[in-house]
Formats: sequence, structure tokens, C-alpha cells
Amino acid sequence: MAYQELVKNFNRIRDYMREFYIYGYKSRKAFTNKSSRSYDNERRRVEGWMGDYMQSRRSASGKQIFLTIDSRTISHNPLYQAWKVKSFTDGDMTLHFLLLDILAEKALSFPEILQRLDQALSVFPSPKTFDASTVRKKLKVYAEEGLVTAKKQGNTIVYSAAKPPEGLNEDALNFFSEAAPCGVIGSYLLDQTKSAHEIFALKHHYIASAMDSQVLYELFLALRQKCSVTLELENRKKDGVRVLTVTPLKIRISVQNGRQYLTAYEQQTKRISSFRLDHVRTVKLGKQELQMEEWKAALERMEAHLWGVSSQSHTKERMDYVEFTICYQPQEHYIPKRLLREKRCGTVVQLNETTCKFMAEVYDASELIPWIRTFLCRITQFHCSNQALEDKFYNDLEEMYAMYQLGGEKP
Amino acid sequence: MIFFHWYGVYFQAMAKILSAALDHPLDKKEIRRLVQDTVVGETAFFLLSALEEGRWQLLTKEGTTPIKNKPVLPLTTLEKQWLNAIALDKRMHLFCEAPYEDPQVEPLFLPEDICVFDRYQDGDPYEDETYRAHFRLILSAIKEGKQLEITMKNRTGSLMRRRVQPHHLEYSPKDDKFRLITTGNRFGNTINLSRILTCQWSKTPLVTAGEPEEKQDAKRKLVCLLHDKRRALERVLLHFSHLEKEVEQLDDVSYRLTLWYDREDETELVIRILSFGPLVQVEEPEDMVEEIKRRLSLQKRLGRSRSV
Repeated sequence: MAYQELVKNFNRIRDYMREFYIYGYKSRKAFTNKSSRSYDNERRRVEGWMGDYMQSRRSASGKQIFLTIDSRTISHNPLYQAWKVKSFTDGDMTLHFLLLDILAEKALSFPEILQRLDQALSVFPSPKTFDASTVRKKLKVYAEEGLVTAKKQGNTIVYSAAKPPEGLNEDALNFFSEAAPCGVIGSYLLDQTKSAHEIFALKHHYIASAMDSQVLYELFLALRQKCSVTLELENRKKDGVRVLTVTPLKIRISVQNGRQYLTAYEQQTKRISSFRLDHVRTVKLGKQELQMEEWKAALERMEAHLWGVSSQSHTKERMDYVEFTICYQPQEHYIPKRLLREKRCGTVVQLNETTCKFMAEVYDASELIPWIRTFLCRITQFHCSNQALEDKFYNDLEEMYAMYQLGGEKP
Repeated sequence: MIFFHWYGVYFQAMAKILSAALDHPLDKKEIRRLVQDTVVGETAFFLLSALEEGRWQLLTKEGTTPIKNKPVLPLTTLEKQWLNAIALDKRMHLFCEAPYEDPQVEPLFLPEDICVFDRYQDGDPYEDETYRAHFRLILSAIKEGKQLEITMKNRTGSLMRRRVQPHHLEYSPKDDKFRLITTGNRFGNTINLSRILTCQWSKTPLVTAGEPEEKQDAKRKLVCLLHDKRRALERVLLHFSHLEKEVEQLDDVSYRLTLWYDREDETELVIRILSFGPLVQVEEPEDMVEEIKRRLSLQKRLGRSRSV
């Protein structure tokens, strides 16, 4: 089949976009799960949408394609472009504009719509003919999605075009299309405006989450409708899929690495766990869950001891206890401030003018280690009830000393 | 579903062409220009081919259209759901007092459906009326290209007065703060909105405009070795994905990562690198290697203490 730029199934391009944007070190032959033609087509598509953001490099293993974007320098997420290339038929395009035009002036019955369609098409030398069932199906979809309203007048259903957008604040759209979940919907709205202002830029902006917008959207629907979902989840090596039924409780988002998680009650294990959205392939809405509020309350109680998303200790204990002490100069008042603004749970105690202690009981202390390391050069004491983790912390330090020729021990 | 063809670039381009055709018959040159103004690359090629072949009966050979009204995409339920959701965001009132809401549609999400678990806790005061007033005035100044007189507290708490040319607002989801980026100021081009005490139109006419000055050597290159243990490859690449970067595989477990960062963020970058422990080793720039060594030497001197 000849190459087509448009895409029918978004999941086809989701993996490639992520590979090119997050990793970008693989050559064509390293995409072992896909055929070469599939790789060539997807690469060509992404190249077309991303323009100058797409770059390449040659190495011994071949040519590597990658996307490189400093998200601080852009006003609009360029990855949204992938959401704007859904495939369509010639009939979809023709009917879209003709139907919305015909229904813009007044409400019409189905026979009247067919008649007006024929009139409109009669200006062409060989007019297309749309059978009644095609037009009826199209009107049904448009009514479901809110583009058209269908009302009963006596025994007849009359259709009219829904209202065009009015009173939208374009500045707010500019901001929230980047900063809010499912921002691509805001980008759709912005496309309909004439907004040319580039007012906002975002620092620490993780734009790859845009690729998971469909999954996030379905999970929001489940949360609002209070129903369970069946997830198709990829495993870490991306060579297998497992199917799981869970009750969604909350979406947990990291603004320090861009990951988005579903925190959900897992019926099978009777546990509250989190699942990465970029590992979810499909979401299917299930039955209403009457116990959702009960599990949400349980999650709320857990949140006082959740540092990130892990709700399971690596030891047999239910919780890990972790504490560390830092020292600083009297003029370095920003250091204790850092502890206070960056901590997500636990407590900070001022021991004296230049010493502070942080203490917390958390489900998984290993999640705190990266943060604790950001205070290196000031840590006078560190203790964790998980002895293996404490040893690992100090062993890692030795490894770092050795790595930078400071006389540490290599493992 | 959110992946629909009517939001697509082909439909956007077609709406523009039809709007123009309502005004006057279009010739091929004008159609080509309208297409190229809306879409790029192969999209333009495919779109023009489809129009040339007359695959969509919307535009006649004479460049006229049977359509009578300017094409407008009505608000879809999906868009209303999303608008209702963002209307509940505490930052929405920075923009307006009465945001768009459709009471007949449920919001797509509520604030309590989402937990941003690693956002810093000293974010800007979005509910403060003075802050909102400053925000709106700054927005107007950016759009109208006008100057502002600002008084603020600097880092040490001293009062400062500045006349600035606002360029854009920068928001950090991690810090939950807005910063005003200005042009043509010898004291620096970044102002934290929460530090502004007063903000008013400047009576002095516009003197300078344009892009914020690129400071000399503002962008720096960082090269580091990445050891792919404990899923470090994925963790590190996701963590730094918001920066311009290149990755090179050296062997089965080693990678070389090159990042371009803003010089003003150097300290932040040092601690972000340190957070990965022995899985990331900085090779360049030399002064960053020295800073990491300095911090590690200090840490080494503090020794190992288990508990007090």
C-alpha cells in the first residue's frame, strides 16, 4: 500500500514518538519489534510533523533519528501535531463541511437534510451521492460528540449545528493547553481561534505526556463515572502485555520527571497500586464500583506516607523509617527552606542554628534516596530502618568518590 | 475518544480555504498560498493533490464553493468537558472572573482526581487579589508591547524599582511559580511575580523592544556517562527529556548523554545529577566536574554516621 501521512490508530505512532523523543539512540535495525517498512513509514510521518526538531546522527550501528526540543523555548507542545492527523475518507471531509453548513442556519429534518445535500452537490459536474444510512450514521456520531444537536419536534427529529465557541479566554487557553492534563484538547480549541500571541513558556515542561492523552482521558471518564477499568499493560521490556481489572482512584503526576500514574484498587490482590500511563495500551470502562469512595478514603490515609507512588516496602515491615541530618552555614538560610518546600511528607526539626533533621515514615524509603542525595556535602547523619537500603546509600557514595578519583571504594 | 479527524490539520486548512472562497473565487495560486500558510511539509503536498483531484466536493474548478456560511467548528462535548475542568483550576481566576462553563456537561476531571506529588510547596499565591491584578496587567503589557513600572523585593529583601519591557511569562510546574521575562534590562531579565509589590503602566514611551538578550555563553553543554543499572537509562532520559539532548550507546550498559542547559540553572543541574548517585558521571564541563568533586569531598569529610 502506498504511504499515507494520516493515521488510523494512535497507538501506532505513540511508541515511535516516545522512542525518538525520550531515547533517540536506536538505529533502524534496533527497532526489532517492528518491520522495516513500518519503521520507515512512522519515521517519515514524525519527520513531516516535527520538522527541525527531528535530527539524525551516524554511528557504527547506523543512522539514529531523534527528536530534540528545549521545551523552555516553545509556546506550544509540538507533539500535539500527532493528534491532528487522524485518517478520514473523502466522504468524511465533504459531509463535515456540508452538514455543518446546512445545519448552521436552521433546524432541519432528515429528509430536508438529504435534499439540501443534493442541492449543494449539484454544482459539481459529477455530484457525489451519499446514501441515507451514511448520512444518518454521520449525524448520529456528530450528535454524540456534540457537534450537532438532535431534538424531537412532534414525531420528527430535527438536527441543528451546535453553537460555535463564544466567550473563551484565549490567554487561558494558551496557558492551560500546556499546563493542564489532556492539554491537547485546549490545543484543538486554540486552532479554532486567531490567537497569535506567544505569551507563555514553561520551564521543566515534560511534553511527552501528551502521547498518553487518550489513556488519561478514558481514566478521567472512569473516575467521573465511578466505574472499574480493564487495562492492557505493557511489561517493562515491552515484549508482553497483561490484562488487569482495577478501580481508578486518582491520577498521580510527577512534575520532576513527567511520569503520570493511575493509582487504583486492584481487585485481584486487594491492594492499592500505581500504574504508569505510558505503559497502558488500552483502557476499557467496566461496571460501576460502589466501593470506590471507600478505597479513595483508604488512599487518602496512605498519602501521608507516600513519597512517590510505591506503596510497598522492600522489607517485611509495613513502613520504612528514614531520617537524615544536614548542616549549613548561618547565611545559607535557603537550605532549611529547601527541606520545607521540597518535602512531600514527614517532618523537619531545627536542631540548632545550623543543623536540621528530616524524619519520615514512608511505605518505600528507596523513593527518597534521590532527593536525599541532592543534599550531598551537608549530610552529617543518615539512617533507614531498611538496613540494606542504608548500606546501599553509603556504598553508592563510596562508588561516587571512586568515580571522581576521591579515594572511594569501587564495588 | 479524543482522536477525531475534525480536529485535524487537513480540516483546519480546508476551513480556511472555504472561508476565503466565500469571499471571492480562488485561483490555484491563492489555494496554494492558503494551504502553505496553514500546514507544512508533506501535509501541504497531500492536501493540494487531493484538492487538485477534486476528491472532496467542496470547491469547484472555478474556485467557488456551495457552502453558504463561514465554516466554524462548534464546541464539542469533549471540549466542554475540558473547559469545565480547567474552570475549576485555582489558576483560572488569574485570567478572568467568570470563565466559560457549560452546566449541562460534567467536567472531564475535578481537582481532587489529580495529585501532583512532587510539586514544591511554596507556589505563587493565586488567590491573592493583588497578585491577580499584577498578573493581568502584565498580560496586557505583553500583548500591547507596553512598558511597566515595577517595585519589588529582591532576594535579600531590599526594595527595588524598575521600568521593564515585558516579553513573556514563564511558568514552572515544578516550582508552581510564574516569572516575568523582560527585555532590555541591565539588571537581569527575570522577575518572580510573587516578589512584585506594585505594578503600573509606565509613563515613559517605549524605548526598546524585541527578544530577550541571549547572554554570552547562556547555553552550556553537559556531557555525562550513564551506567544503565537499576533502570537508570529510562529514569535519566525521562528526567532530562525537557532539555535538548543527544544519546549515544557505547556498549550494552553504557551511554553517553549530551545536554544543553541554561547557565543560570547550573546549581539546579548539579543537584539533579547528584540525585542519580553513581549511575551518572559528568565528563564536561570541567567546572561542573570540579563542583561535583567539591561537594563529594565535603561529604566525604563529614563521614558516615548512622544515627544520633
